[in-house]
Amino acid sequence: MKEQLQALQQEALAALDQADNLKSLQDVRVRILGKKGALTDIMKGMRDLSPEERPIVGALVNQLKDDFETSFSARQQELQQRAIAARLASETLDVTLPGRRRVTGSLHPVTLVADEIVEIFSRLGFSVAEGPEIEQDFYNFEALNIPKDHPARDMQDTFYISEDLVLRTHTSPVQIRTMLKHDPPIRIIAPGTVYRRDSDLTHSPMFHQIEGFLVDHKVTFGDLKGILTHFLNEFFGTGLEVRFRPSFFPFTEPSAEVDIACVICGGSGCRVCGRTGWLEILGCGMIDPAVFDSVNYDPEQYSGFAFGMGLERIAMLKYGVNDLRLFFENDLRFLKQF
Amino acid sequence: MIVTYNWLKEFVDFDFSPQELCDRLTMAGLEVDSLEEIGGQFDSVIVARLENVAPHPDADRLTVCQVNNGREVVQVVCGATNHKQGDLIALAQPGSVLPGDFKIKKSKIRGQVSQGMLCSEKELGLSDEAAGIMILPADLPLGQPVFAALGLKDFQIEIGLTPNRPDCLSVVGVAREVAALSGAPLTLPNTVIAEIAKPIAEQTSVTIENSEGCPRYAARMIEGIKIGPSPDWMVRRLEAVGMRSINNIVDVTNYVMMELGHPLHAFDFRFLEEGRIVVKSARDQEVFVTLDDQQHLLTSDDLMICDGRRAVAMAGVMGGRNSEVQDDTTTVLLEAAYFKPTMIRRTSKRHGLHTESSHRFERGADIEMIPVALNRAAGLMAELGGGNVLSGVIDNYPQKLELPVIELQRDKVEALLDIALDCATIQTLLESIGLDVDAGSSADSLSVRVPSFRPDIERDIDLIEEVARLYGYDRIPVTMPIGTVDAPLPPKRQKVQKLLRQIMVKTGFSEAMNYSFIAADAMKKLGLHATDGRHLHVPIMNPLSEDQAVMRTSLVPSLLETVSRNLNYRSLDLQLFELRPVFLSQGDHAACRENLTLTAVMSGRREPEGWAQTAQNVDFYDLKGVVEQIAAELYLPEVEFSAAQTQEYFHPGKSCCFSIAGEVSGFLGEIHPEVLRRFAIDQPVYIFELDVEKLIHFAGEFAQFKPLSRYPVVIRDSALLLDETIQAAEIMAIIQGSKMKSLEDVTLFDLYTGKGIPEGKKSLAIRVRYRDQEKTLTEEEVSKFHDKLIRSLCRQLGAEIR
Repeated sequence: MKEQLQALQQEALAALDQADNLKSLQDVRVRILGKKGALTDIMKGMRDLSPEERPIVGALVNQLKDDFETSFSARQQELQQRAIAARLASETLDVTLPGRRRVTGSLHPVTLVADEIVEIFSRLGFSVAEGPEIEQDFYNFEALNIPKDHPARDMQDTFYISEDLVLRTHTSPVQIRTMLKHDPPIRIIAPGTVYRRDSDLTHSPMFHQIEGFLVDHKVTFGDLKGILTHFLNEFFGTGLEVRFRPSFFPFTEPSAEVDIACVICGGSGCRVCGRTGWLEILGCGMIDPAVFDSVNYDPEQYSGFAFGMGLERIAMLKYGVNDLRLFFENDLRFLKQF
Repeated sequence: MIVTYNWLKEFVDFDFSPQELCDRLTMAGLEVDSLEEIGGQFDSVIVARLENVAPHPDADRLTVCQVNNGREVVQVVCGATNHKQGDLIALAQPGSVLPGDFKIKKSKIRGQVSQGMLCSEKELGLSDEAAGIMILPADLPLGQPVFAALGLKDFQIEIGLTPNRPDCLSVVGVAREVAALSGAPLTLPNTVIAEIAKPIAEQTSVTIENSEGCPRYAARMIEGIKIGPSPDWMVRRLEAVGMRSINNIVDVTNYVMMELGHPLHAFDFRFLEEGRIVVKSARDQEVFVTLDDQQHLLTSDDLMICDGRRAVAMAGVMGGRNSEVQDDTTTVLLEAAYFKPTMIRRTSKRHGLHTESSHRFERGADIEMIPVALNRAAGLMAELGGGNVLSGVIDNYPQKLELPVIELQRDKVEALLDIALDCATIQTLLESIGLDVDAGSSADSLSVRVPSFRPDIERDIDLIEEVARLYGYDRIPVTMPIGTVDAPLPPKRQKVQKLLRQIMVKTGFSEAMNYSFIAADAMKKLGLHATDGRHLHVPIMNPLSEDQAVMRTSLVPSLLETVSRNLNYRSLDLQLFELRPVFLSQGDHAACRENLTLTAVMSGRREPEGWAQTAQNVDFYDLKGVVEQIAAELYLPEVEFSAAQTQEYFHPGKSCCFSIAGEVSGFLGEIHPEVLRRFAIDQPVYIFELDVEKLIHFAGEFAQFKPLSRYPVVIRDSALLLDETIQAAEIMAIIQGSKMKSLEDVTLFDLYTGKGIPEGKKSLAIRVRYRDQEKTLTEEEVSKFHDKLIRSLCRQLGAEIR
């Protein structure tokens, strides 16, 4: 029996070696160790052995089983790896084919810019306010120190709905509406749609502005400079050169225009900045006491500043858009770029 | 306002270069829009001497000239006859470009080389003189550009003036600013008039009947004038500041207006009936013809300058045709007056006449400049027109203007500007622009008398602005405001808008922005019923065009136009939305409600075009899915879609209304093919429109958590055979109505009609998930639940199990 077992062991190991796939490997196992396998056959001879021989042969059988299992596992692992390698070798993709795209949406560049500006001012404690687009003459002009028959009305070509109703020409009426409702201190930022009766390459009859204002005790012109310089650096990048120069708005005094070093040429002069190296970016000033009068704030107690800017202009500078009309044509090829 | 560099220099001796001057003006609040060199294009036209002039060998009318340009002698062929050897002439060298895009090149004329051209005055834009070439004064240096050599080199400076600065609507006004900026003194023109003995008072009179409209009217008379062209220097100056030369008398009025800022008018005295002036309001319905031949129907609000019988000028705006200076005018009555700004503005607006004169009067002229301007003009008329100035001035100025005196507290300057200036410094700054400053009522205040040329300065804040401007905005420190900050979180209204935009973008829509105004008939294209409230637009009184005449009551027409335009660009797969107000008229025009609306449009393929993607087109259910997502993300209660109600512009069988808690809050569906045809769209389009005001009203603030069950789920699928007319909502209502607490979820997952299904029937598969919160359900329990559910569906809907 010993000899039979030794022969079986040799045969089994040879068969494992010869098996070249997982299926034939299993077959070998069944053939050797299965219920009707070779080992079972040999084991039938056990009952003819003397009681002394049985434990010895039993040990041999166990030894054979252990050896077989070890070789089997090794061979199985080897064949598994070979099978994986073969599968991997047969499966390849053209990775340069474009991926499956989802339909993607996009926000309008004016919304994107407004959101970004609101975000910057929110961190400075400004809250968003809104107002109607069809506005009363009082809020749009009178309360902002722009009386009827004043030449300052020429600064804004106005669409009229009636004698006393206009399409708001700026977001500044939000100042009046807010101040009439709330007492200082206030910090407000107000994006919105505005209208001017003007249409050409650089003017759209409808466009967007964002207005901001702050009223508190002891607000100074220096604070106005500080807030706006901070904002412009956040928005256009730190180290940006900013200059304030005197200007005129009926609702602020002193008033200023703010220029930034041209973001296109960096200040050396180009077509965009009209070769001046500066880009006019916003208007601002200390709120005129006449405005405080119309909202019943005491100008002796409070001071404040206000500023406003055109969102399309900001978007044009930020994204390098060269044609104002694109903002309202809604060409998907344009909208999808943002 | 346009000024020139040299003209400014006449009144203030400053050291700035032209560019420096512009930079300084801009930073002082007089924003320079452009700086251009006058005659700059003539830099290659230089002074040269004719060394020799000989007849052209092959042309009788031409001469061959040897021209010394200061470096060498070149040959030029010339057709003029007024030149001779030794003359200094203007040589346009090859490369020069003369007016009319006339390029000078080296050439051969009848076989003779010609290296340039000898110019006439006309060719250099210096005068209309074209008879011969320009002979220059003998002492000019050879080789120098002619304009520089003649002292004609100048710079045109265009300033974009803000409406608060009428004082700078003149060369002298700008010079006053330059004086303040440079520290050099301002010198006003000095006029000495040699009057003749004949007194004006015996010839004419001025009566002011409307002294509110005209607080001051002054006149002089000049006789013996000969009308003719103005001298070249004056023509050049007027042209440099954008005015056209008319004749010597009219030019003087314009010249003095540009120089001193005060508008003047010259009447031909022989046309003034009764030889006198009366200032009064017009009669209603009176007809008046202005200089430009326009006829105007006057109202009693128009202030007129009249003679003894009729109107002869629209005060402060434009003179009349009937009293205009003509070629044979010999005696003029020269007017210098002050008119009430709002009156001039109303007249100018009413008659659509915006003139240099009305521009100045409506912003506020300088009442004290009247005698200065009058004398300056009279002197120039005598000089240029050869006239005699009658002795004396009629100056009707009954109520002398009181100059405002403003008390300025030093600490207020410091409080607002954050700069500590002492009173002396403030005084110096304010005096530099001609304000009259004295010590104030306290040691820490100043008393400022505001001159008549600064009508914009009325309050102490106006003075503080001047201090800031003159001190320099750039020198004011940059600080951050200190104060209480109370910034609440954005209100629901803003949060919902932001969320809606986010949902639209993540579901694949791009944001569009269309004009709020549309054509009045745009809503008609939607086929709305005649009584529909959306036909009641809020109209714009002064629209730019018919296409933008009314405020839109729906975003649908604009978006359909957007679709049409994009299809033209061959963008065929579209998902766009617009979140903006519509303007709903409340009966009469004045009352209008702005209602925020979200409108979205889908058309074309569901997925982007690609090798591995399906080419299926979007349908109603893609659209509905987005609305459902909005409802879910806004936590809207009791959302319902019902085909019972829709809109005329939708396909009647593929559209429905959307309601929240029983309130109709929007519509969705496929656009009616007839409407698509009107917008020239040839592919199906799906639109939903939601009333955002309602969404805001009903939106829940946040999700309400439902506990998760730890027990296993059991799934049962059943296919039901139903009448085709039975709607999904009916099935869902029965299932939800069963109120089984272990029923977790139901999905409709297969809808089938066709082969194997009887006519008029459909097969619908439902998958029900059962799960209990407290225990594991047994197969028997689930079967019991499910059988009961299916039985009730069969009973109530006449369904069968397939």
